[in-house]
Amino acid sequence: MTGLTIQVRGERLRLLADKAVYWPARRTLIIADLHLGKAMHFRLSGIAAPAAVEQRNLDRLDRLMQRWRPAEVLLLGDLFHSRHNASWESFAAFRALYADVVFTLISGNHDILDPERYHQAGITCAPFLLRGPFHFTHHPSPQAGHHNIAGHVHPGIRLAGKARQHLTLPCYWFGASAAVLPAFGTFTGLHMVRPVPGDRILAITGDHVFRCSTEA
Amino acid sequence: MPTQKAPSDRTVTRQATQWFAAQGLKPQAFQRAAWQAYLAGRNGLLTAPTGTGKTYALLVPILLEELRATAMSRSPRGLRAIWIAPIRALTKEIEASAIRAITGLGLDWSVGVRTGDTTATAKRKQKERMPELLITTPESLHVLLAQKGSSALFADLRCLVADEWHELLGSKRAVLLELALSRLRTLAPTLKTWGISATIGNLEEAMDVLLGEEQAGQERIIIRGETKKRIEVRSVLPPDIRAFPWAGHAGVRSVEQVLPLLKESSSTLIFTNTRSFAERWYQRLLDVAPDLSGVIALHHGSLGRDLRDWVEEALHDHRLRAVICTSSLDLGVDFRPVETIVQVGGPKNVARFIQRAGRSGHQPGAVSRIHFVPTHAMELLEGAALRLAIDEQRVEQRMPYVRSFDVLCQYLVTLAVGDGFRQEEIHAEVLRTFSFRSMTMEEWHWVLGFITTGGPTLLAYDEFQKVQVEEGVYSVMDRGIALRHRLSIGTITSDSAIRVKFIGGGYIGSVEENFVSQLERGEVFWFAGRSLEFISIRNMEALVRKSDVTKGRVPSWMGGRIPLSSQLSAVLRRIVQRAAEGEEQDVEVRTLAPLLEKQRERSHIPYGNELLVEKMRSREGHHVFIYPFEGRAVHEGMAALLAYRIGLLTPISFSIAMNDYGFELLSDREIPIQAAFDSDLFSTAHLLHDIEASMNATEMARRRFREIAQIAGLVFKGFRSKAHPVRHLQASSHLFFEVFADMDPANLLLIQAREEVMTFQLEEARLRKALERIAGQHVVIKECKGSTPFCFPIMVDRLREKLTSEKLEERIKRMTAQLA
Repeated sequence: MTGLTIQVRGERLRLLADKAVYWPARRTLIIADLHLGKAMHFRLSGIAAPAAVEQRNLDRLDRLMQRWRPAEVLLLGDLFHSRHNASWESFAAFRALYADVVFTLISGNHDILDPERYHQAGITCAPFLLRGPFHFTHHPSPQAGHHNIAGHVHPGIRLAGKARQHLTLPCYWFGASAAVLPAFGTFTGLHMVRPVPGDRILAITGDHVFRCSTEA
Repeated sequence: MPTQKAPSDRTVTRQATQWFAAQGLKPQAFQRAAWQAYLAGRNGLLTAPTGTGKTYALLVPILLEELRATAMSRSPRGLRAIWIAPIRALTKEIEASAIRAITGLGLDWSVGVRTGDTTATAKRKQKERMPELLITTPESLHVLLAQKGSSALFADLRCLVADEWHELLGSKRAVLLELALSRLRTLAPTLKTWGISATIGNLEEAMDVLLGEEQAGQERIIIRGETKKRIEVRSVLPPDIRAFPWAGHAGVRSVEQVLPLLKESSSTLIFTNTRSFAERWYQRLLDVAPDLSGVIALHHGSLGRDLRDWVEEALHDHRLRAVICTSSLDLGVDFRPVETIVQVGGPKNVARFIQRAGRSGHQPGAVSRIHFVPTHAMELLEGAALRLAIDEQRVEQRMPYVRSFDVLCQYLVTLAVGDGFRQEEIHAEVLRTFSFRSMTMEEWHWVLGFITTGGPTLLAYDEFQKVQVEEGVYSVMDRGIALRHRLSIGTITSDSAIRVKFIGGGYIGSVEENFVSQLERGEVFWFAGRSLEFISIRNMEALVRKSDVTKGRVPSWMGGRIPLSSQLSAVLRRIVQRAAEGEEQDVEVRTLAPLLEKQRERSHIPYGNELLVEKMRSREGHHVFIYPFEGRAVHEGMAALLAYRIGLLTPISFSIAMNDYGFELLSDREIPIQAAFDSDLFSTAHLLHDIEASMNATEMARRRFREIAQIAGLVFKGFRSKAHPVRHLQASSHLFFEVFADMDPANLLLIQAREEVMTFQLEEARLRKALERIAGQHVVIKECKGSTPFCFPIMVDRLREKLTSEKLEERIKRMTAQLA
């Protein structure tokens, strides 16, 4: 899995093709919108979403952990999709395998579990986080002085070419003072974003991250 | 005990004849034939157009059967007959006819209507005491099966009649009915099945589908009630063809020519192919002739039921001079015949056209006249094609849906929510339906697995719950699941429609979400023939107020385009051949002469043994147009196939457009068309593989999957009432498609989506035939400087498909993100 390194406020950030950001200076892996337990939540209600989705998310996360060996995993909200179900236990077991890694969750609108559960799983919760030049939140909330990095949006970009071609891809969206990360979860949709001139759009094609050119 | 002999069929039939005579009527031959066949215990199919007494052809013998039986002993009350109507609007009328006949024959039957509109109280009463005759829809019949204790209701059922069966046949609603019938035949072993259908090309098959295997072996009969009617097609010719647009314009230019037709006649129906065309015609007619205000009306599927009911009634009572409508008025609604029929745009289908023509001139021997208004110049040819097709009685078939596993999944849950089922018994029943006769044991087990374990799962702690199996009985225990299921029974899926309401209250109809999302506050749009100002959107409702502004956008609805049928395509090719030969027997070809001359000058008009290819360059890129005249559906598959095969020669990306006459490949680089033709481009070898391989098929399957996911219960449309919130249970079918394709490729619903694309959308069988025909044709490649009359309507089409053989990265480099 390759990625692309960009500079933001003097910090190097590595945007990975697996929809996660690695911040080498702080050895931090930043991930938004995992929506764990979503497929299981559907299954509990009689909707046959593939059960394999849950394992797939953990497998992808595990690969990232093995590859980057982070000291901290920073989760930008919507870690768990619904009220408690068996998938939380799978995740807690997974998290226990990385006892020396700090897991921090910026709570999102979907994170409605009993606070005790996060605590027991060794996950620190916070409404937002200021670190270095960055202001981490779940909902995008640009703020003077810091560069905001958020999730929630599940950004996607529509690319258009000659001969009326077009293409839709998940993306990273870096604006002048705020950034939105793609949703990590396998069973999540896309919301088309409308960048403004000067924004950096980095589209994800599965194996690669591409800088998109923008044009009015 | 009285040892009375049962009255003979002759005796009871005499009663019916007397009742007819009392109203000054005489049973028609086909009615007598139906009575006789029914009383002899046969099953069958009756063909008869609307408004000819088809209801009494089957209603009367059902009542006579009761007369015959009650003479022996009084049987207990309860459900005797089910009458399936495809639309709710039809039920009222059937009810009225039934009550007349029941009273006339002196029976004490009660008649009940049960549809989505029936109140909960009325439904409860029905369940306590079923009416003898139940008029309902396939969906409501399934909802009934989803009730606890419903099995007992059908014990004395003698007959099920499927009215307007041809309408159901080409849809999954027919599969719903087939499955319900397979259950009823067990619950009521002496059940007879009858269908009533308009004339279609595959009546035998239509009967097989309805009767299933069980009754197919028994004596069955097709009774033909239609009499051949003379139909005259008159094209509305533009006064100056040179000034007539080359591409679609809704035909509103011809309004002024249609106006006199409308004024001369006491009643007119104007059929358009799409809802937005209907809106535009209505608007334009009022612009040109404001005095028509109040005596013309609009009728289409997106308008609110109340509005449509009012229009139907007003039409029935001759309070309206004209109604502008879509296929929404094609079936049912047995209003009095109208004087004039106008068809705007090619009807694409001979059967439908004949049916519409039949709305006029009901007197025996009268000529049905139908005026055809082309929406662009070349479409005029379709007028000539229609005339020829009607002359030769080339009526289309309705292809039944088979192996619709989405419907089967839904049906099994329906039974599980109701009285529960044993799988061996239901398996045997399902196998006897037409739709599932080829189902394998593996497939059956897959479906059972889908509803009980939620498909394959490797999880240690899976919490899937839907249908549970206890002591061999499959049933649903969870009330929430049962409730959600009952509310989503059916196969009619709608796009996320936004209800349009006046701010002061009053429902007008619904438009697509996509359209509303483009509206700005204060913007004016035309809908339901009114100028409306958009205010805001709240809970899937668009709030509007009346506006005086006369200009505004008209919403468009998806799925408006019907492809040219294979029958009509074949005839159209003969008309093009006539044009190529300069034969001028058709007034349409004569009128088009200047345009055809231009086509000849700039390019060529293909003879029957030729395939025309046009090449040109524009600012948009390199265009190649190919004209097989096979209809939109076949062109879609053919274009994707060709694009894929050319892509094998060189990395290239295309965008594809098509109409019923031909298709276009557009690329930002030179298309090696000559080389492609030299390399067996139209071969049928590896056809399936090549279509599958083209990205296009996946995209189409994804779209098909929308409906499948909804029917199979994966995507839940939610409740309108806020009493049952569905927290975090919304995911798009698109998302399901992705994860299934990725993690569960053997998913039967996924496979079904691909099969449906092949069978119904690309019409693979037809495509194959077309390719074989083309392989024997001489290819004529013309380099053109500017657009030709043939290519122009395709070129300006904005609905496009895409296909590429380039690496994603390569494409992205040449694309740009769209900015706000």
